[in-house]
Amino acid sequence: VTREQRVHETDPALIREAVSGDLRAVEQIVRAHQQEVWRFLRRLLGDDGTAEDVAQETFLRMYRRLPTFAFQAKFSTWVFQIARNAAVDELRARERRARAIRSVPPAPAATGGEGPTRVELDAALASLPVDLREALLLIEVLGLRYAEAATVLTVPAGTVKSRVFAARVRLAAWARAGEADGPDAEGDVPTVQGPEP
Amino acid sequence: VRCDDALVAVSVRADSEDLDDAAALDAHLASCAECRRFERAILDLRSQLRVEAVDRAPDLAPAVTARLARGDGPAPPRSGGGRRVAVAAAVAAVAGMVAGATFVGVGGRPRSPAAADIPEQVLAAQHDITSLDSRLTITEAVPGDRGGTRTFDAHLTYRAPESMVLAVQETTTGRSGAERAAGELVVDGDRWWQETARQCSPAAGRVQCPDEPLTWSRSVTGREPFSDSAPVPLELVSPVDSFMLAAAPPGAGERTIAGRRAVGVTVTAAQVAPVLDGLQAAVELGPVHPADPVELWLDAQHLVPVAFDVRAADDPARARWAAAVGGVDRPGAVVLRVEADEIRINGPEPAGSDAFALPAGPAAATTDAGFHPTPDGDRALSVVPVPGTVPGGLRAYRSGTVTTPGGPAVGVRSWNDGRAWLTVRATAEWAGGRLFGDLGPDVRPIDLGGGGTGYAAGDGRRIGLHTDAVDVVVAGSVPLDELRTVAAGLGLRGRPVPAGWAEAATAGLDDAAVVVPGLLTARGAEGFAVDPAVRVDGDTVTEVRAGPGDRTLALTQRTAPALPPPSSGDETGVEVRGVAGRYSAERGELEWVEGGIAVSLRSPTIGLGELVAIADDLEPA
Repeated sequence: VTREQRVHETDPALIREAVSGDLRAVEQIVRAHQQEVWRFLRRLLGDDGTAEDVAQETFLRMYRRLPTFAFQAKFSTWVFQIARNAAVDELRARERRARAIRSVPPAPAATGGEGPTRVELDAALASLPVDLREALLLIEVLGLRYAEAATVLTVPAGTVKSRVFAARVRLAAWARAGEADGPDAEGDVPTVQGPEP
Repeated sequence: VRCDDALVAVSVRADSEDLDDAAALDAHLASCAECRRFERAILDLRSQLRVEAVDRAPDLAPAVTARLARGDGPAPPRSGGGRRVAVAAAVAAVAGMVAGATFVGVGGRPRSPAAADIPEQVLAAQHDITSLDSRLTITEAVPGDRGGTRTFDAHLTYRAPESMVLAVQETTTGRSGAERAAGELVVDGDRWWQETARQCSPAAGRVQCPDEPLTWSRSVTGREPFSDSAPVPLELVSPVDSFMLAAAPPGAGERTIAGRRAVGVTVTAAQVAPVLDGLQAAVELGPVHPADPVELWLDAQHLVPVAFDVRAADDPARARWAAAVGGVDRPGAVVLRVEADEIRINGPEPAGSDAFALPAGPAAATTDAGFHPTPDGDRALSVVPVPGTVPGGLRAYRSGTVTTPGGPAVGVRSWNDGRAWLTVRATAEWAGGRLFGDLGPDVRPIDLGGGGTGYAAGDGRRIGLHTDAVDVVVAGSVPLDELRTVAAGLGLRGRPVPAGWAEAATAGLDDAAVVVPGLLTARGAEGFAVDPAVRVDGDTVTEVRAGPGDRTLALTQRTAPALPPPSSGDETGVEVRGVAGRYSAERGELEWVEGGIAVSLRSPTIGLGELVAIADDLEPA
């Protein structure tokens, strides 16, 4: 199971085979990127089922747009950009359906043996505005550099920096609230809001 | 350096991005406790975001290529959640590849009278279990050149309804103390504590795992009654999920185990995946193939699992799977053996001891899952309707409210009788989009009489109700008929879900037969839900039938003169229902054309032989 844990840069020849309609090549590309894409979407969208649906949609869109891939950006960054856009579409559709602007309800998490830790964290993530959440997840879950995340989000790197910071301030406050009576409570977390260009 | 700037710099440095003046930041941190706390909070958060089970991600490749092959048709059924760790992980590693010819569990073998009604007996016996104390020996084959076995001692202590200690210690000879794995799970009502060996998932680029991620302990308070999201392996006490929808299994005889009479049955690993997963709450075991035959021995009186053997199925496809996941591949070899050395059921509790005390000392992660007991007058609890009747023997247990940041306030009531349980959860704040209560993608409407319309999860374990004022889910370890009685007696009138919700594509077989004239159904498949979840997406009809444990079946049909082009390239020709069809082991999918309909019968956990047998029994809807 370890072979596919890391995203390797995709071989240009494989991409060309996929463009020519070779589904085995598509399959290889999907396998190389699906774990990262799913983990990012799972955290961004808050539940397994939606993450799986949007991840499928991501790779279908990827296939359709493969002919336009210019070999200029990293392939993985390009795929993350498609995933992020597909997730934003899903969140907008969800908002339309709900006809109310409220945060994503956390899935009660019948799946996964992860336990309430995951449920709680999902809920905290869900309470973040989407622009802060997606920036944080690109950095923390996918391990992108600010410059790479900036490409995915089509914002300046400085904006990534400030959004990641703002997300951390809010999550740190949330974590402190949860353990206010803990033995190592020393005081309040910083309440500074990051500059938002 | 000003404090505001320092906080930003701390965040930037945590991401290994370049800092203008790292020395100045260090100097500031030395005198700024607030900044140091922020740095620690960032690292704590990072470990929570990065350390998770790596195998939870589904394999999307088969679904994506299948949709491309058929011109981006509707989404096939999801691969299912990651709850079934032992088996599901094995499947994901090779894209739903299943063993071909081996099949057990349906037909083909004489059934002993004692084994025939095991499923019913398991469901009934759960009401009579109040405590359990057993010592088990676990023997696991080590695959590959080194061969040999690993052994573990396990001690399971249980007190109804949801207090449990599972402690596992490796005893493999030739391994030093430090090399031996150990793990422990302690659950007591609303609190649980776990220490296990954990995997870390390294992400792309420079993300690193902790240096020594050997064990991971965490402590959780505020656990909901009978929460699915906490590892309480009740299946080790009474394998209800493994037998809920099961057909009568072939018998394996009777024998004496740990001084008690035991009845044996032969099933598949997919069916008893919940039992296998139960052990994983305390120890990480190697992968098991879903089609591997399992000889399971249950206490004759209380139906508690007392022993089981998992053997490698004899099939070429399984050998390929084993090579991919590093599993045992010699056909017939014992992959995993568990046997009780001592067992005491419903014995007296030792006086003066508290077997379920949570260990003292710090855990790596302590969280509050958000459940708090509340008195009856509480506002959030008062939205939970009280059923007019509950199944016989069940008595009121914990009740309260669950609050999570950003989530709806949920009220919960629960009941239990021995290990058997029932919950009613409700919220007045559901945002919609899909049914409240995590019923999964495959649901079917059920008639609740005066209670209006409800929706049953495909596996029959939950019923959801949507009303204008409140959204409710009834769940439990009791059969669907009993859940239905409870749901019908809530004093509510359930409504069909709004058109925009995920469940709106749910249809009856009659409606579906209009979309695809000549529609077939797997009504006769033994050991699967009698009533399927049916969905109509455009011109395509999908019928999903849940089985026990991880066994599930999806039948997809669409009016078409021919099959779409093969998508995975591993397809082989198979005769099915008297016509030439094809089978992909990788996708676990059997396809053929019949009467102008392109038919696909698919399961990630069922082998080719059994799929063909099920296909032969399809009948007009």
